[in-house]
Amino acid sequence: MIKIWQRYALSWGWLILLTIASVAIGQYFQHATLNSVLFIAIVMLIIALKGQQIIDVFMELKHAPKLWRNIMLAYVIVVPLIITLIYM
Amino acid sequence: MPDNQQLTTAIMVNETTFSEKNTQTNDIKKLPGDLAMWFFILAELTVFAIFFIGFAIAENLNLVMFSEGKAQLHKVAGLINTIALITSSYFVAISLYSMRVQKERQAVLRLIFALFFAAIYIVLKLWEYDSLFEQGIDIETNTFFTLYFLITAFHFMHILLGMVILAYMAKNAYQGKYNDPESENEFSGFESGACYWHMVDLLWIILFPLIYVI
Repeated sequence: MIKIWQRYALSWGWLILLTIASVAIGQYFQHATLNSVLFIAIVMLIIALKGQQIIDVFMELKHAPKLWRNIMLAYVIVVPLIITLIYM
Repeated sequence: MPDNQQLTTAIMVNETTFSEKNTQTNDIKKLPGDLAMWFFILAELTVFAIFFIGFAIAENLNLVMFSEGKAQLHKVAGLINTIALITSSYFVAISLYSMRVQKERQAVLRLIFALFFAAIYIVLKLWEYDSLFEQGIDIETNTFFTLYFLITAFHFMHILLGMVILAYMAKNAYQGKYNDPESENEFSGFESGACYWHMVDLLWIILFPLIYVI
Protein backbone atom coordinates (compact mmCIF):
# COMPACT_ATOMS: atom_id res chain seq x y z
CA MET A 1 0.00 0.00 0.00
CA ILE A 2 1.40 3.37 -0.94
CA LYS A 3 1.24 6.48 1.20
CA ILE A 4 -0.78 9.43 -0.03
CA TRP A 5 2.26 11.62 -0.69
CA GLN A 6 3.84 8.81 -2.71
CA ARG A 7 0.72 8.75 -4.88
CA TYR A 8 1.34 12.40 -5.76
CA ALA A 9 5.01 11.71 -6.54
CA LEU A 10 4.11 8.77 -8.79
CA SER A 11 1.63 10.98 -10.60
CA TRP A 12 4.29 13.63 -11.08
CA GLY A 13 6.65 11.05 -12.54
CA TRP A 14 3.99 9.70 -14.88
CA LEU A 15 3.13 13.23 -16.05
CA ILE A 16 6.78 14.04 -16.79
CA LEU A 17 7.25 10.75 -18.63
CA LEU A 18 4.18 11.35 -20.79
CA THR A 19 5.35 14.89 -21.54
CA ILE A 20 8.75 13.73 -22.72
CA ALA A 21 7.10 10.94 -24.72
CA SER A 22 4.84 13.35 -26.59
CA VAL A 23 7.79 15.62 -27.43
CA ALA A 24 9.87 12.63 -28.57
CA ILE A 25 7.02 11.40 -30.75
CA GLY A 26 6.69 14.91 -32.15
CA GLN A 27 10.37 14.96 -33.07
CA TYR A 28 10.05 11.60 -34.82
CA PHE A 29 6.98 12.54 -36.81
CA GLN A 30 8.39 15.92 -37.75
CA HIS A 31 10.83 14.16 -40.01
CA ALA A 32 8.17 11.84 -41.38
CA THR A 33 4.97 13.42 -42.67
CA LEU A 34 3.25 16.77 -42.15
CA ASN A 35 0.21 16.60 -39.81
CA SER A 36 -0.05 12.83 -39.69
CA VAL A 37 -3.43 12.06 -38.15
CA LEU A 38 -2.06 9.06 -36.28
CA PHE A 39 0.62 11.22 -34.68
CA ILE A 40 -1.95 13.81 -33.68
CA ALA A 41 -4.25 11.14 -32.25
CA ILE A 42 -1.40 9.73 -30.14
CA VAL A 43 -0.51 13.18 -28.80
CA MET A 44 -4.16 13.87 -28.00
CA LEU A 45 -4.40 10.53 -26.21
CA ILE A 46 -1.39 11.53 -24.12
CA ILE A 47 -3.18 14.78 -23.28
CA ALA A 48 -6.17 12.78 -22.03
CA LEU A 49 -3.94 10.54 -19.90
CA LYS A 50 -2.13 13.52 -18.37
CA GLY A 51 -5.41 15.31 -17.79
CA GLN A 52 -6.79 12.28 -15.98
CA GLN A 53 -3.84 12.34 -13.59
CA ILE A 54 -4.28 16.00 -12.79
CA ILE A 55 -8.03 15.63 -12.34
CA ASP A 56 -8.06 12.43 -10.27
CA VAL A 57 -4.89 12.88 -8.23
CA PHE A 58 -3.92 16.55 -8.00
CA MET A 59 -7.47 17.92 -7.98
CA GLU A 60 -8.57 14.88 -5.92
CA LEU A 61 -11.74 14.48 -7.95
CA LYS A 62 -11.42 10.72 -7.70
CA HIS A 63 -13.03 11.18 -4.31
CA ALA A 64 -15.51 13.82 -5.45
CA PRO A 65 -19.13 13.43 -6.59
CA LYS A 66 -19.19 11.51 -9.86
CA LEU A 67 -20.88 14.34 -11.78
CA TRP A 68 -18.00 16.75 -11.30
CA ARG A 69 -15.35 14.13 -11.94
CA ASN A 70 -17.12 13.07 -15.13
CA ILE A 71 -17.45 16.67 -16.33
CA MET A 72 -13.74 17.27 -15.92
CA LEU A 73 -12.73 13.94 -17.45
CA ALA A 74 -15.07 14.59 -20.34
CA TYR A 75 -13.25 17.85 -21.00
CA VAL A 76 -9.84 16.20 -21.42
CA ILE A 77 -11.37 13.52 -23.63
CA VAL A 78 -13.81 15.52 -25.76
CA VAL A 79 -11.62 18.55 -26.50
CA PRO A 80 -8.65 16.46 -27.73
CA LEU A 81 -11.09 14.24 -29.64
CA ILE A 82 -12.60 17.25 -31.41
CA ILE A 83 -9.10 18.50 -32.25
CA THR A 84 -8.20 15.08 -33.69
CA LEU A 85 -11.35 15.05 -35.82
CA ILE A 86 -10.55 18.54 -37.12
CA TYR A 87 -7.19 17.30 -38.38
CA MET A 88 -8.69 14.29 -40.18
CA MET B 1 -4.70 21.44 24.60
CA PRO B 2 -3.54 18.07 23.27
CA ASP B 3 -0.09 17.02 24.38
CA ASN B 4 2.67 16.10 21.98
CA GLN B 5 1.90 12.39 22.12
CA GLN B 6 -1.74 12.98 21.24
CA LEU B 7 -0.75 15.28 18.38
CA THR B 8 1.75 12.75 17.04
CA THR B 9 -0.87 10.02 17.20
CA ALA B 10 -3.34 12.24 15.38
CA ILE B 11 -0.83 12.96 12.64
CA MET B 12 0.06 9.26 12.29
CA VAL B 13 -3.64 8.41 12.02
CA ASN B 14 -4.01 11.09 9.33
CA GLU B 15 -1.06 9.77 7.35
CA THR B 16 -2.95 6.72 6.23
CA THR B 17 -2.16 4.68 3.19
CA PHE B 18 -3.87 5.60 -0.06
CA SER B 19 -6.14 2.58 0.02
CA GLU B 20 -7.25 3.28 3.59
CA LYS B 21 -8.07 6.88 2.74
CA ASN B 22 -9.95 5.72 -0.31
CA THR B 23 -12.05 3.40 1.85
CA GLN B 24 -12.72 6.14 4.37
CA THR B 25 -13.84 8.67 1.78
CA ASN B 26 -15.79 6.27 -0.41
CA ASP B 27 -18.96 6.89 1.57
CA ILE B 28 -18.57 10.66 1.64
CA LYS B 29 -17.79 12.16 -1.76
CA LYS B 30 -16.92 15.80 -1.40
CA LEU B 31 -16.06 18.36 -4.05
CA PRO B 32 -12.85 20.04 -2.89
CA GLY B 33 -13.08 23.80 -2.46
CA ASP B 34 -15.99 26.15 -3.03
CA LEU B 35 -18.72 25.47 -5.58
CA ALA B 36 -18.33 28.99 -6.94
CA MET B 37 -14.70 28.28 -7.79
CA TRP B 38 -15.75 25.21 -9.75
CA PHE B 39 -18.22 27.21 -11.84
CA PHE B 40 -15.41 29.67 -12.50
CA ILE B 41 -13.13 26.79 -13.47
CA LEU B 42 -15.74 25.44 -15.89
CA ALA B 43 -16.16 28.89 -17.42
CA GLU B 44 -12.41 29.23 -17.99
CA LEU B 45 -12.16 25.73 -19.43
CA THR B 46 -14.96 26.60 -21.86
CA VAL B 47 -13.23 29.76 -23.07
CA PHE B 48 -9.97 27.91 -23.63
CA ALA B 49 -11.77 25.03 -25.38
CA ILE B 50 -13.05 27.57 -27.90
CA PHE B 51 -9.51 28.93 -28.31
CA PHE B 52 -8.05 25.44 -28.80
CA ILE B 53 -10.67 24.35 -31.30
CA GLY B 54 -10.39 27.67 -33.14
CA PHE B 55 -6.64 27.22 -33.35
CA ALA B 56 -7.01 23.71 -34.78
CA ILE B 57 -9.50 24.92 -37.40
CA ALA B 58 -7.27 27.86 -38.35
CA GLU B 59 -4.29 25.50 -38.70
CA ASN B 60 -6.21 23.27 -41.08
CA LEU B 61 -6.98 26.29 -43.23
CA ASN B 62 -3.36 27.49 -43.20
CA LEU B 63 -1.22 24.38 -42.96
CA VAL B 64 1.98 25.82 -44.42
CA MET B 65 1.79 29.07 -42.44
CA PHE B 66 1.22 27.24 -39.17
CA SER B 67 4.00 24.75 -39.89
CA GLU B 68 6.45 27.58 -40.54
CA GLY B 69 5.23 29.47 -37.51
CA LYS B 70 5.60 26.49 -35.19
CA ALA B 71 9.14 25.97 -36.49
CA GLN B 72 10.00 29.40 -35.11
CA LEU B 73 8.77 28.62 -31.61
CA HIS B 74 11.09 27.46 -28.85
CA LYS B 75 10.02 23.89 -28.22
CA VAL B 76 12.63 23.38 -25.50
CA ALA B 77 11.32 26.43 -23.65
CA GLY B 78 7.82 25.02 -23.99
CA LEU B 79 8.97 21.66 -22.65
CA ILE B 80 10.73 23.25 -19.68
CA ASN B 81 7.60 25.30 -18.99
CA THR B 82 5.49 22.15 -19.04
CA ILE B 83 7.79 20.43 -16.56
CA ALA B 84 7.86 23.56 -14.39
CA LEU B 85 4.06 23.80 -14.24
CA ILE B 86 3.58 20.10 -13.54
CA THR B 87 6.16 20.32 -10.74
CA SER B 88 4.49 23.44 -9.39
CA SER B 89 1.15 21.62 -9.37
CA TYR B 90 2.78 18.73 -7.53
CA PHE B 91 3.98 21.07 -4.77
CA VAL B 92 0.53 22.66 -4.50
CA ALA B 93 -1.04 19.19 -4.17
CA ILE B 94 1.33 18.10 -1.42
CA SER B 95 0.98 21.46 0.34
CA LEU B 96 -2.75 20.73 0.71
CA TYR B 97 -1.83 17.33 2.13
CA SER B 98 0.45 19.10 4.64
CA MET B 99 -2.44 21.33 5.69
CA ARG B 100 -4.67 18.30 6.30
CA VAL B 101 -2.08 16.71 8.60
CA GLN B 102 -1.71 20.02 10.44
CA LYS B 103 1.76 20.85 9.19
CA GLU B 104 1.14 24.48 8.24
CA ARG B 105 4.77 25.51 8.02
CA GLN B 106 5.50 22.59 5.72
CA ALA B 107 2.53 23.61 3.59
CA VAL B 108 3.88 27.16 3.32
CA LEU B 109 7.30 25.87 2.29
CA ARG B 110 5.74 23.69 -0.38
CA LEU B 111 3.73 26.63 -1.68
CA ILE B 112 6.95 28.62 -1.92
CA PHE B 113 8.43 25.83 -4.04
CA ALA B 114 5.30 25.92 -6.18
CA LEU B 115 5.74 29.67 -6.67
CA PHE B 116 9.40 29.14 -7.54
CA PHE B 117 8.54 26.78 -10.38
CA ALA B 118 5.78 29.11 -11.52
CA ALA B 119 8.36 31.90 -11.63
CA ILE B 120 10.49 29.74 -13.94
CA TYR B 121 7.51 29.59 -16.27
CA ILE B 122 7.06 33.38 -16.12
CA VAL B 123 10.71 34.14 -16.85
CA LEU B 124 10.92 31.64 -19.69
CA LYS B 125 7.67 32.81 -21.27
CA LEU B 126 8.81 36.45 -21.19
CA TRP B 127 12.15 35.42 -22.67
CA GLU B 128 10.29 33.56 -25.41
CA TYR B 129 8.16 36.62 -26.24
CA ASP B 130 11.21 38.87 -26.23
CA SER B 131 13.04 36.49 -28.54
CA LEU B 132 10.16 36.58 -31.04
CA PHE B 133 9.86 40.37 -30.83
CA GLU B 134 13.56 40.69 -31.60
CA GLN B 135 12.99 38.75 -34.80
CA GLY B 136 10.29 41.23 -35.75
CA ILE B 137 7.50 38.77 -34.97
CA ASP B 138 4.46 40.10 -33.13
CA ILE B 139 0.70 39.65 -32.82
CA GLU B 140 0.09 41.15 -36.28
CA THR B 141 2.64 39.04 -38.17
CA ASN B 142 0.13 36.48 -39.43
CA THR B 143 -2.85 34.39 -38.28
CA PHE B 144 -0.64 31.82 -36.55
CA PHE B 145 1.18 34.36 -34.42
CA THR B 146 -2.02 36.29 -33.69
CA LEU B 147 -3.49 33.12 -32.21
CA TYR B 148 -0.20 32.13 -30.58
CA PHE B 149 0.13 35.43 -28.71
CA LEU B 150 -3.59 35.62 -27.84
CA ILE B 151 -3.79 32.12 -26.41
CA THR B 152 -0.46 32.04 -24.60
CA ALA B 153 -0.82 35.58 -23.23
CA PHE B 154 -4.32 34.79 -21.96
CA HIS B 155 -2.90 31.71 -20.25
CA PHE B 156 -0.01 33.80 -18.93
CA MET B 157 -2.50 36.13 -17.22
CA HIS B 158 -4.09 33.13 -15.55
CA ILE B 159 -0.68 32.06 -14.29
CA LEU B 160 -0.12 35.51 -12.78
CA LEU B 161 -3.51 35.41 -11.04
CA GLY B 162 -2.74 31.89 -9.85
CA MET B 163 0.54 33.03 -8.33
CA VAL B 164 -1.26 35.79 -6.44
CA ILE B 165 -3.71 33.19 -5.14
CA LEU B 166 -0.91 30.83 -4.08
CA ALA B 167 0.88 33.67 -2.27
CA TYR B 168 -2.36 34.58 -0.50
CA MET B 169 -2.83 30.93 0.52
CA ALA B 170 0.73 30.83 1.86
CA LYS B 171 0.17 34.01 3.87
CA ASN B 172 -3.03 32.67 5.39
CA ALA B 173 -1.47 29.30 6.17
CA TYR B 174 1.51 31.01 7.82
CA GLN B 175 -0.89 33.08 9.95
CA GLY B 176 -2.85 29.96 10.92
CA LYS B 177 -6.07 31.11 9.32
CA TYR B 178 -6.99 27.63 8.12
CA ASN B 179 -7.11 25.98 11.53
CA ASP B 180 -10.69 26.53 12.60
CA PRO B 181 -11.83 22.95 13.29
CA GLU B 182 -15.38 24.17 13.99
CA SER B 183 -15.97 25.35 10.44
CA GLU B 184 -17.63 22.91 8.05
CA ASN B 185 -14.60 22.83 5.79
CA GLU B 186 -11.69 24.73 7.23
CA PHE B 187 -9.57 24.11 4.13
CA SER B 188 -12.17 25.17 1.58
CA GLY B 189 -10.31 28.34 0.60
CA PHE B 190 -7.04 26.47 0.33
CA GLU B 191 -8.61 23.72 -1.76
CA SER B 192 -10.25 26.29 -4.05
CA GLY B 193 -6.94 28.02 -4.71
CA ALA B 194 -5.22 24.70 -5.29
CA CYS B 195 -7.87 23.56 -7.78
CA TYR B 196 -7.58 26.84 -9.67
CA TRP B 197 -3.84 26.27 -9.99
CA HIS B 198 -4.34 22.70 -11.22
CA MET B 199 -6.79 24.04 -13.80
CA VAL B 200 -4.12 26.42 -15.12
CA ASP B 201 -1.71 23.48 -15.36
CA LEU B 202 -4.39 21.40 -17.09
CA LEU B 203 -4.84 24.10 -19.72
CA TRP B 204 -1.12 24.21 -20.48
CA ILE B 205 -1.12 20.43 -20.83
CA ILE B 206 -3.45 20.87 -23.81
CA LEU B 207 -1.93 24.13 -25.07
CA PHE B 208 1.69 22.95 -25.26
CA PRO B 209 1.17 19.90 -27.53
CA LEU B 210 -1.38 21.73 -29.66
CA ILE B 211 0.75 24.82 -30.36
CA TYR B 212 4.30 23.53 -29.97
CA VAL B 213 4.34 19.79 -30.72
CA ILE B 214 1.85 18.74 -33.42
